[in-house]
Amino acid sequence: MLTMAEAVREAMSIAFDERPEVFLLGEDVGIYGGAFGVSGDMFHRYGAERVLDTPIAELGIVGAAVGAALSGMRPIVEIQFSDFTAQAMDQIANQAAKIHFMLGGALHVPMVLRTPQGSGTGAAAQHSQNLEPWFASVPGLKVVVPSNPADAKGLLLASIDDPNPVIFLEHKLLYKIPGRDPVPEGATRIPLGVSKVVREGKDLTIVATGIMVNKSYEVAEKLAAEGISITLIDPRTISPLDMQPVYESIEITGRLMVVQEGPAHAGFINEVIAQMAGSASFGSLIAPIKRLAGMNIPIPYAPQLEKAAIPQVEDIETAAREIVKNWR
Amino acid sequence: MSFKYPVVMPKMSMTMETGELINFHVKVGDQVKSGDVLFEVMTDKIDMEVEAPADGVIATLVAEPGAVVEIGKPVLIMLTETEVMAFDFGDDDQPVIAVEVTAPTPVIAAPVSAPAPLIVDTPVKAVPKARVEAGNRGIDLRTVHPTGPDRTITMQDVNGAQLDPAIVKRQEANKALIAKGIEMTRGIAQASFSRRVSTSFDHASFIAAWAKVLRGRPDLAAHEQIGVALIIESKYGSALPVFRDPDQASLNDLRTLVASTTDAAKKGKVPVEMLSGATTTVFDLTTYSMSSATPLLFPNQVTSVTIGYDSESTKNISLTIDLNLCDFYDGALLLDALVASL
Repeated sequence: MLTMAEAVREAMSIAFDERPEVFLLGEDVGIYGGAFGVSGDMFHRYGAERVLDTPIAELGIVGAAVGAALSGMRPIVEIQFSDFTAQAMDQIANQAAKIHFMLGGALHVPMVLRTPQGSGTGAAAQHSQNLEPWFASVPGLKVVVPSNPADAKGLLLASIDDPNPVIFLEHKLLYKIPGRDPVPEGATRIPLGVSKVVREGKDLTIVATGIMVNKSYEVAEKLAAEGISITLIDPRTISPLDMQPVYESIEITGRLMVVQEGPAHAGFINEVIAQMAGSASFGSLIAPIKRLAGMNIPIPYAPQLEKAAIPQVEDIETAAREIVKNWR
Repeated sequence: MSFKYPVVMPKMSMTMETGELINFHVKVGDQVKSGDVLFEVMTDKIDMEVEAPADGVIATLVAEPGAVVEIGKPVLIMLTETEVMAFDFGDDDQPVIAVEVTAPTPVIAAPVSAPAPLIVDTPVKAVPKARVEAGNRGIDLRTVHPTGPDRTITMQDVNGAQLDPAIVKRQEANKALIAKGIEMTRGIAQASFSRRVSTSFDHASFIAAWAKVLRGRPDLAAHEQIGVALIIESKYGSALPVFRDPDQASLNDLRTLVASTTDAAKKGKVPVEMLSGATTTVFDLTTYSMSSATPLLFPNQVTSVTIGYDSESTKNISLTIDLNLCDFYDGALLLDALVASL
C-alpha cells in the first residue's frame, strides 16, 4: 500500500515518463528529496535538468514556472510549506490565474503548484495553516485537496494534464499514511471537479475536506454500529466545486454537517453551506446545518492547544450524534 | 369617552344568513389595533377573518367557537375610544351600535366553554422541510407544538400534527357547494366541443377574450354584466372568484387583478365581492397536465370553458353549452370565435 507521498511521486514519475515537457522545481526537491520526502529519488532518476533545486525565493520559483508554462512546458512547483505561498502570491493570483484571460485566451498556464498544508506537526502558526480559501476565491485557479493516496495520484495526473494553473494542497499528516483503498497501478486520471461519495447512509450527510475526510470516515464507521448511517462526501476539487452529490444526499438524509481543518471564518466549507442554502434542496433540510472547523486563531505551538484548535474525531462524533438525535 | 362596540357576524355574500364562528384570535382584556384579526368565520362559500374596526380593548366574547351566528348578531364586544359606524347589512335596519358606557372598566368575560386552539403570534421556527410539508398538507405551523431545540418545529412534530380543522371544514364546504351547484344542472341537455390551439395566452388574456366573444352574443349572456369565474385550486379546495366585464378593463389592470386574486385564493382568502355574479366559468386543467374534464355547467350559466393540456406547444380548449339556450351551431361559432381571438 502506497502512502500519499509515494502516490504523489508515482504520479509525477508517470507524467515525467509520458511528457518530456513536465519538470519539477522547488526548494530541496532535488538531492535532498523534498522537505517531506515527496520527490524522493526523482533527482537521481530524472537528473538535474528535470528536477530543479531552487534558491529560497518563492516569488522567483513560481515566476519561473509561469514563464516556463507560457512557453510550452508543464512545470510542477513544490512550495515547501503552503504558508510560503504568501511570498509568491502575485505570480499565483495576478499572473498564473489571469494571463489566459488577459491575452484573450491566446496562452495557457499549465502549471501545477503542489504544497503541503495543515497542522498537527508542532510547527506553530507560520507553518501550519490551511489556506485553501485564498486560492479558491481566485477565479482562474483550480484547487485540489486530496484526502488519500489513490485520489492524490489520479487527481495529480489530471492536474498536470489540465491547461489551467492548479493549486494542489497536500496535508502533511497524510504523507506517511496508506489509504483505505490501494492506489491503482497505471496512469488512470481522476477528473477534476467531481466530488466523491466515500460512503452512503440515510441519516446524515457529512461534507469534509482533506484530512477531515479520514476523521469523518472513522466516525461514520463507529456510528454505523449504533444505527446512525452517514453519507460522506469528499469534494476533492474545491474549485470548481461539484455540489450535485450533496444535493442528492440531502434529499435522503435531510441533515448536513460540514467539516474542514481551516478556520471557520470565511473558510472554504462555508461555500458548501451557501450553495446548499440557496439550492432547491434547501426545503429538504430537517436540521440546521452544522459546521465544524478550526478556531479563528493562529495555530498554537503547545501540542494540547494545537489539537484543541481544530476538529478532532471526538468532536465530529459528538456533533454527528447530536444532530441526528435532536432533529428528527 | 369609551364606546362599547359589538363586532357582529358580517354578511359576506348575497345569500348568507348565518355564519359559523371558527375561533377567536383574541381573548378578554387584549389590546387590539384597528385591522387586527379578531375571529374567523365560515360560511357555505368562504372563510373570512374579521378585523377590529378601531383600536380598543376586548371586553366580552359573546359567541362560542363552533356556534352558528345570525348575520348582524354580536360575536364579541370591544371598548373603543373611537366612534365607529356599524356595517350596513342592507336588508335590515341595523342601528349604529355605538353606545356610550359610563363605567369604562372592568368588564367580566362571558364564560367560553370550548377555548379556541392556542395560536402563537410570534414568528414560528421550523426546519425548512417542516414548512414544505406543512404547506403541502395544509397544516398551520402556529398550531404545531415545537419539540426541537430553541422551540423549533421538527419533522417529527409536523408528521404528528393534524390538518388544521378550519381548512378541513373549508374544503368540505367548498366540495359541498360545487357538488350542489353541479347537481342542479344535471339533466340539462348540454354538449361539449374541443379545439386544439397553438397560440400562447395567460389567464387574463384568455378571460378577456372569452368575455369579448360572449359580449357579441347578448342572446346567450342573459345578463348585462359578464362575469367570468376562474376556478383556482389550493389546499383550501376550489375557489371561484368572478372577474366582472374583464374585456372592458385594460389588460395590464386585469393581469394584476388575476395575479393578486390567484395569490389570495391560494391562501383561502377571496374577496367577498368577487364571489358572485358569474355568468360563465373557466377551468385551467393544464396545471395538472390534464387534457380534458367533463365540465358540467354551473347553475344559471349557459357556458363553461376548460383549458386542457395537449402538448408542449398546444392546448386543448373545450366549450360546454346549455342546449336549451343554444344549439350545436351556436356552440361551434362560439368556440371558433374564442380560438380566433386568442
